[in-house]
Amino acid sequence: MHAVWYAKSTITNTTPMIRIEHLTKTYGDLTALDSLNLEVKKGEIYCLLGANGAGKTTTINLLLGFIKPTSGNAFINEIDVVAQPKQTKHHLAYIPENLMLYPSLNAIENLDYFSGIANKKFKKHELEAFLVEAGLQQSAFKKPVAKYSKGMRQKVGIAIALAKDAKVLLLDEPTSGLDPKASNEFGQLLQKLRQKGVATLMATHDLFRAKEVATTIGVMKDGKLMKQWSVDELSLKELEESYLETMSYNTL
Amino acid sequence: MLQYNFKYEWLLLIRNRWIQLLSMVLFLLFGFAVYNGMQKVEARQANIAAAEAELKTQETASLKVLDSLENGQKVSLSRWRLPSRPVVIGNYLPRVVSMPAKSTAFIATGQSDLFTHYVKPTVTGDDLSISYTEMTSPVQLLFGSFDLAFVIIYLLPLLIIAFSFNVLASERESGTLKLLAAQPIRIRTWVLQKLALRFFWLTLCIIVTLLIVFAISSFDFSANFSVFGSLLLYIIVYALFWFVLAFATNIWIHSSAKNAIALIGFWVIFVLLSPSILNQLSNSFYPMPSRTLMLNQMRTLKAEATKKQDEILDSYLRDHPEYAINDSSQTRNFYHRYMATQNLVKEELRPVVEKFETQLQNQQQWAYTFSWLSPALTVQNAFNTLAGTSEKDYQEFRSQSLAFAKEWRDFFIPFMFNNQEFKKSDYKNLPAFEFSYANETSHLRILGLLLMSVVIVTLVFVFKPKQQQIQIAM
Amino acid sequence: MIRHTFKKETKELWRDGRVRIAFIIVLLLTAIAVVISTNYYKNINEQYVEASANEREVWDNQGEKNPHSAAHYGTYAFKPKYPLSLIDQGVDKYAGTSIFLEAHKRNEAQFIAASDQTGLARFGDLTPDFILLFIIPLLLILIAYNSMTKERERGTLTLLNSQGAVGWKIVLGKWLAIFVPVCSIVFILFVITGFLLSSLPDFGVFSWSSLFTLFITYMIYYAIFINLVLIISATVKKSGIALVLSLSVWILVCLVLPKAASNLAEYKYPYPTRQEFAENIAKDKKLGLDGHNPWSAAAKKLEEETLKEYGVDSLSQLPFNYDGYRMQKGEEHEAEIYFKHYQYLKTQYSNQNSIYKTLAIISPYLPTRFMSMAIAKTDYNTHWDFSDAAENYRIATQKFLNEHFANETSYGDWGWKADADFWKQLPKFEYEPPSLVETLETNTTSVLMMFVWLLGSFTVLFFTTKSL
Repeated sequence: MHAVWYAKSTITNTTPMIRIEHLTKTYGDLTALDSLNLEVKKGEIYCLLGANGAGKTTTINLLLGFIKPTSGNAFINEIDVVAQPKQTKHHLAYIPENLMLYPSLNAIENLDYFSGIANKKFKKHELEAFLVEAGLQQSAFKKPVAKYSKGMRQKVGIAIALAKDAKVLLLDEPTSGLDPKASNEFGQLLQKLRQKGVATLMATHDLFRAKEVATTIGVMKDGKLMKQWSVDELSLKELEESYLETMSYNTL
Repeated sequence: MLQYNFKYEWLLLIRNRWIQLLSMVLFLLFGFAVYNGMQKVEARQANIAAAEAELKTQETASLKVLDSLENGQKVSLSRWRLPSRPVVIGNYLPRVVSMPAKSTAFIATGQSDLFTHYVKPTVTGDDLSISYTEMTSPVQLLFGSFDLAFVIIYLLPLLIIAFSFNVLASERESGTLKLLAAQPIRIRTWVLQKLALRFFWLTLCIIVTLLIVFAISSFDFSANFSVFGSLLLYIIVYALFWFVLAFATNIWIHSSAKNAIALIGFWVIFVLLSPSILNQLSNSFYPMPSRTLMLNQMRTLKAEATKKQDEILDSYLRDHPEYAINDSSQTRNFYHRYMATQNLVKEELRPVVEKFETQLQNQQQWAYTFSWLSPALTVQNAFNTLAGTSEKDYQEFRSQSLAFAKEWRDFFIPFMFNNQEFKKSDYKNLPAFEFSYANETSHLRILGLLLMSVVIVTLVFVFKPKQQQIQIAM
Repeated sequence: MIRHTFKKETKELWRDGRVRIAFIIVLLLTAIAVVISTNYYKNINEQYVEASANEREVWDNQGEKNPHSAAHYGTYAFKPKYPLSLIDQGVDKYAGTSIFLEAHKRNEAQFIAASDQTGLARFGDLTPDFILLFIIPLLLILIAYNSMTKERERGTLTLLNSQGAVGWKIVLGKWLAIFVPVCSIVFILFVITGFLLSSLPDFGVFSWSSLFTLFITYMIYYAIFINLVLIISATVKKSGIALVLSLSVWILVCLVLPKAASNLAEYKYPYPTRQEFAENIAKDKKLGLDGHNPWSAAAKKLEEETLKEYGVDSLSQLPFNYDGYRMQKGEEHEAEIYFKHYQYLKTQYSNQNSIYKTLAIISPYLPTRFMSMAIAKTDYNTHWDFSDAAENYRIATQKFLNEHFANETSYGDWGWKADADFWKQLPKFEYEPPSLVETLETNTTSVLMMFVWLLGSFTVLFFTTKSL
């Protein structure tokens, strides 16, 4: 299994780490995702913008294999998420909107456990190094996670991604409910990961944070990708106008 | 994954005080149950010992009288209480036909509160006059006893349910499942490991607390090593069954409240309902004949027999010419007629009485065949057998003691019909009784239960809800 | 507000599939249990009628016989089955059904049904009382465990508070929504049972008032249970915890405590074993007057006294057969011995009973159990009452026979035989069980305990939910 994994990871910079092709998910009459096409390359941060119910979380859940697509394909590091969900998870890390850890364990123990069951074994100082890298204060390491703030828990989540050496990071509304300082710190962490070559897909409705951290921004509505820009292409003001325009476009 | 699950499950269980709480609860429950069981067994043994002692004193007194008689001395006893009359020995010095407790009797009260543990069959008494039911307040019989079997069969599953009903659901509800599901693992395997570990720790808690409790109540481990082993085995298999149910429920049902309700439902079905439904069915399929109507029959038979006592005696003597020849005086009194009549009535009643026994056996067979429907029943039976308090043990006691009663009567009949005096030298020839437990084990049934657990686990893996169907989000 | 909460809760419960299924299952089980019990009841009753008639016939037709032979021949008293045993079998399965009434000896009731059954019987039967006492409380827990916690978890509680809802009124609405459906089911069950029983050919002592009292007893029991579950639901934060706690209460109250109580009772106030009991009586008998033994010291004393009383020199001069007289005196003496020893048993039992009553403080199951059995006339007290009545009848029968013997014959005339018609003159054994009022009087502590539980739990519920 490992051999296969290494073989597949020898891919060029331009190979998309996340590739979604005509991905569709319907629940009865309701179409949650309508033939979505999307690519995130190495070192890219792709922000999915959209209102509630636009299909952002569905996209992420499909990539995680939590739900099965009605049709279409999705690949993580060129591995099919439907056919081989377990394999894809060697390459990805996921931080849900409200990341929860075992409250009676401390940060080191949580990190040890989550990387341990993913078959990655570390010594204690290595675990501490990951946490430091993720920006968690050293004084918090030994406290039970029950006492952590959301921002601190997310840092542990990042540490898990670091420990796993994840190539793909899936984020679902990571900054909602964070105070501006924590939110800012989180943005910086993402940049750090980007420089390491991690491909990030982040669902959010925070336009400003997206503009700050993203390399590419896509706007979703009713399960469709409406627009997509490279962040360098336009200013925040233009982005905002364009975003609002897209949002009101169909409702008229 | 197992190594990490093992390490952190232990940490979580200790930090959430589960292990501590569980050990304490188990210790209290086992302690109280074993204490109760021991009390009962002690009382049972003391009663038998007292009866034996009483017999010893009476025996000594009678032997003394016999001695005096044989030496031609006068004794101050009325004529018909003289121990030289065989019927006096046979009626007033009956043996204590007892069923001593097994060393493991404290495990399960079983039927021991319902039935008596010693009887004293007399020469003139008939089989039906021996009462095998114990004098117990029926309220007590209704409520039952707080014994080890109760703790294990009724309460242990509930502890297991409390310990395992939300292994997966709580992860979902607290949100950690999302992170877990993003790891390269199979959730079903992960749940199985978690439950296996909890099973492991629970088993360890049970073994340790049982060892402590048994040691405190001075249980002889060396002499009863294999029995203790079987007991542990039964408990572990039963616990495993409930963990397996918890596993299936955890995989198939999504919220902890629903899990708890489903598991409690299983508990009600397996522990409360299925035994009583089986019982009801066995009673309907093999109804017991009416005891009151049997009484009627017996009365009529006896009434007829009494009217014809002389004829009966004559025909009895025709069948047993040895009694007629040996006794030249040919004196026939009340007891001769009585004994002959007794025999006849017994013979004629046999089909009626046997009907009860066969129906009971049918019921037992039926219950045995279907007992796999209720693991609680299987384990209860296994415990009762282990403790020597099962229905079968008491049936065995009934038949062994009745056989002895016959032996006892048969011993005296030649004396009586030959109008022979009972001598001191005859005393050592009196038949003695020793009860022996039928050697039965329930290993096969328990193995069946184990098999059932394996089948359930396999089913969960075969008819798997797809990973995606293990609903990750709330 | 109470009405609105009631409506809303009822709707919510009805829409909950689990509750619906649970209701249907309970109804189904109840129906099966009632059918089984009815058949059983009919069967037993037929056997009772047949056996009683047969036995009397055997007695009436025993032919010419010495009255004392007839006394030894004896007769049987059969315990009748009461209509409400259809709802609560009580201890009937564990108490004997027939008592042999003979000279010189008080016998225990024979033939305990449970001893003729497999060990399965000890798990309990699928009878209405099993459902009423165990399963319906479980159903109540299932319905009620989250009725407060769900409001908290969904956050609707704050919404309710902001609407100016009063705590106890909401609780009362919820309480009624739980109570009314269960109450109606049980009510229907009782009414059906009532009509079923009154349609049976010989429904004997069936009375609607007893049935109604039984119904009220169970309603109080359920009210207490609902209160307990609602108190738990109102004080804890999570539904899961509320469920586990409520179930623990159920296990403790319905399963563990009764068993522990029975162990405690047996340990503190044990019954003698059957053999011990018989031996103690035999010992006492040996010391006293034996009707068959004219040589004992007690017999000699009686002889002297009798001669003195009638102012005659020899027994043959007495105006009656002294043998019969001595038999009767011996009988009376033995009856006293039995009375003493049975009195001891009763004392032991009433001591045991006081343990059950004390433990009723922590288990509302216990007083309900005892009340239910008592009203259904299947409790141990009724059994005692029957056993005493049979003993009184036995004493009267012996007197009747001995007096006939003493008055009709002269001393030493053991060969005399009474007419074949004479036996018919013996009055029949008629047993009248205690009436409902008497039953309630003997069980006042249980009644009181139930009301204490009811009021106590209501009070606690009121205070815990005053401000939600």
